[in-house]
Amino acid sequence: MKPFDIVIVGGGGAGLYAAMEAMKTNPALNIAVLSKVYPNRSHTSAAQGGANAALANKAKDDTVEMHIFDTIKGSDYLADQDAVDVLCSEAPKIIRELENIGTPWSRMEDNTIAQRPFGGAGRPRCCYCSDKTGHTILQTLYEQCLKKGVKFFNEYFALNLSVSGSRSNGLIAMNMKSGKVEAFPAKTVILATGGYAKMYWNRSSNAAGNTGDGQAIAYRAGIPMKDMEFVQFHPTGLRKSGLLVTEGARGEGGYLLNKDGERFMARYAPEKMELGPRDLVSRSLETEILQGRGFDSPAGKYLHLDLTHLGADLIKSRLPQIREMSMNFEGVDPIEEPIPVRPTAHYSMGGIDTDNQTRTVMEGVYAAGECACVSVHGANRLGGNSLLDILVFGRIAGRTAAEEAGKFTPNTISEAELTEQLQEIRGGMHAAGHYERYGELREELGQTLALNVGIFREASLLQKGIADIAELKERFKKVRIFDTSDVFNTNLMQVLELKNMLDLAETVAAGAYARQESRGSHTRIDFPVRDDANWHKHTMATLVKGKVTLGEKPVTMGRYELQERTY
Amino acid sequence: MTLPTDQHTEGKKNVTFRVFRFNPQVDSKPYFDDYTIPVEKGITVLRSLNYIKEHIDGSVSFRAFCQAGICGSCGMRVNGLSQLACTTQVWDVLAKSREPGIIKVEPLRNLPLIKDLIVDMDPLVDKMKRYSNWVDSTMPEAEMGKKEFLISEEEFLRYDKATDCILCASCVSECSILRANKEYVSPAVLLKSYRMSVDSRDSLHEQRLAELVKDHGVWDCTHCYRCQESCVKSIPIMDAIHGIREDAIESRGMKDTSGSKHAEAFMMDIEKKGKLVEATLPIRTNGVVWTMQNLLPMALKMIMKRRTPPPPPLVKSAKGIKIFRQMFREMTEHVKQDHKSHQ
Repeated sequence: MKPFDIVIVGGGGAGLYAAMEAMKTNPALNIAVLSKVYPNRSHTSAAQGGANAALANKAKDDTVEMHIFDTIKGSDYLADQDAVDVLCSEAPKIIRELENIGTPWSRMEDNTIAQRPFGGAGRPRCCYCSDKTGHTILQTLYEQCLKKGVKFFNEYFALNLSVSGSRSNGLIAMNMKSGKVEAFPAKTVILATGGYAKMYWNRSSNAAGNTGDGQAIAYRAGIPMKDMEFVQFHPTGLRKSGLLVTEGARGEGGYLLNKDGERFMARYAPEKMELGPRDLVSRSLETEILQGRGFDSPAGKYLHLDLTHLGADLIKSRLPQIREMSMNFEGVDPIEEPIPVRPTAHYSMGGIDTDNQTRTVMEGVYAAGECACVSVHGANRLGGNSLLDILVFGRIAGRTAAEEAGKFTPNTISEAELTEQLQEIRGGMHAAGHYERYGELREELGQTLALNVGIFREASLLQKGIADIAELKERFKKVRIFDTSDVFNTNLMQVLELKNMLDLAETVAAGAYARQESRGSHTRIDFPVRDDANWHKHTMATLVKGKVTLGEKPVTMGRYELQERTY
Repeated sequence: MTLPTDQHTEGKKNVTFRVFRFNPQVDSKPYFDDYTIPVEKGITVLRSLNYIKEHIDGSVSFRAFCQAGICGSCGMRVNGLSQLACTTQVWDVLAKSREPGIIKVEPLRNLPLIKDLIVDMDPLVDKMKRYSNWVDSTMPEAEMGKKEFLISEEEFLRYDKATDCILCASCVSECSILRANKEYVSPAVLLKSYRMSVDSRDSLHEQRLAELVKDHGVWDCTHCYRCQESCVKSIPIMDAIHGIREDAIESRGMKDTSGSKHAEAFMMDIEKKGKLVEATLPIRTNGVVWTMQNLLPMALKMIMKRRTPPPPPLVKSAKGIKIFRQMFREMTEHVKQDHKSHQ
């Protein structure tokens, strides 16, 4: 295949924005977008609440500076302040740009883009389209990419980067429709594959495919992962499925109640109440449950998210999807009764280490979105900042790769390398002695992570988690693939996804064990306070000779000094 | 083997999932495999399929992603009806099942089959491209990002519901026109086209409409309403289709397509007689030459089988035609006024 200037892996918000921006920057470039699903299926579509930008449509005194401060404080001072500057300064421009190309937004009375309050934000600056914001943004970006004639390779599963020394030759991927392993030689590769929080499996709000493919590919190529131990638990997952009820539900005025009917957030965040930052609210729910103030059910303990006082009209117009999901998956109509909820693994703050221009340490390899860690979210992401992150840094990635592609001479990917990859994924498939079921391994991985590397962590639990993951990796060597066909082998794909999750789970647990402090989403019972003297730094996890090796990187400070974080 | 859920008290039912199987590498034609599993209340079709794949037969192939009814991946036919497996409750389906205890799971129709429950979505994407299913902004690229368009909530509401579409292709699968003509634009693409055309930021209105009134376009719909009935997001798709037709008549006039002429002839008949004069409908729609060339053989066959519609003089006015005409005129007046107040 003729070498590409840019190969983008992932067709969600970050990947599509990158494609659009790259074509705008230099229309002559040969660009491909690979995605393991049709781009419009990507998990960006599940983002309900909205995207933060200091447009000051609702609160006239809102400023970019306030957005910057809220984000840094929300991150528990682990975010790099220069990166947060970029995120928040670009925000108004990028939301307007999205509006200008046709994204539907809910509107204020003066016909400007509507904004609502969100957790951890000092002003109502979350721009939204009822509770389908991510969906409408994704549709719009996909439509615009079709308009621009972006070359899509849909249902291609990315396997590995092809690497020569310090730079990549491009990507190796499996065509799901044919089962063939194909080469995508490229001057530059942008990884934009989303997060890894699905490793918590049934205790995760994520789509089945959010298995950290991009991170695992980079990790195997020797690129460091940053702050992997920081996994955000969203306070309000549905009890049974872990599926998400948007923070917008609390933004619109929903209450969190324990079994005594008490608005318990008064104990933990007396000022912000239900709209405290996610890490704090999740811990509050978990504490209520641990202290016996939760409801009991065979599907687990839970609390109530009460919207009944908001009235049918508001629920129908602003939170229709939430109502539909509550009815479909819990049999509860939020107009009539409270929704049963408990915290669910939702977002990975950690990811591929990049600079503010989305460059990784490997020449010609870039990363953007949840897949990357710039870092703008630090130890805890604010609601409404993830859509913003994928848009802002997706665009930067597209522009940077387009500008820098010319620097690199195209390399080739050898037939031998493809054969080797094919042998690796298909070779042991039906060999005798393979009996482990991937479904069981996957469920066990989720269980041990939720139990031992979950909201509350401590040394003994983490050691157990690390041992469990190691054992699962051993068992994985005996995994059986039952589907022998080449065409659309979803069995094989799910096994490869599990491999990615196992590789990354190791870095999450290792980082969590090493970090002897509590910061943001990472709460150590045995080290309950933030320890700035020893731990105000990023964790870097690199694969060295098959083992996770931890290092560190300083946090870039700026205008804001370290402060205690209260709400 | 039981799927975990919390409603143990509700009991379990043995359910047989009769799954459509086809692997193009080895099968010359499709067949069905039965998998019987106990299912408790509250379990979806997708969770059941996942269970079958993980525990019984790893080769059963289907798409699934978000599992929350928002990504649109798991569209399939469950007991004959196209829907999302992830939001469809097994017990609900069982209650309406013709064969007790059996749920038949098949791929969507009207799209090329790839394997088992997986169909090729590319034809739908190609149609989105053909009918410019995007906003082509009136704002020059260089100006973008500087200021917002000011858009009223009223305008937003015009396309709000249409933007719920997740391209699951349930409507595509149910569409009766697509079964006969795979080139037909398809309901989802008409819906998206409508959504773009009522957006004041878009500049492609005329161009898109010109494409939509061509062959295989908006006039091919026969109002069977199956798309709307099967829409997993309850989007009034037919409103969009009617919207495009009204738009076409209004901005392009009556004469440019057979579709609009057909609609006009329909209306005249209804006003005059309260029913259709079918014998002359093709001539008034497509002209004498076209009718002779295309419908003569069929007309001859109809005569042989004594299936010809009555000639125009024999079509008597419907009963109560006077009252009907009165009502018809009032309605027409209403519609006209509505149009004026929209402009």
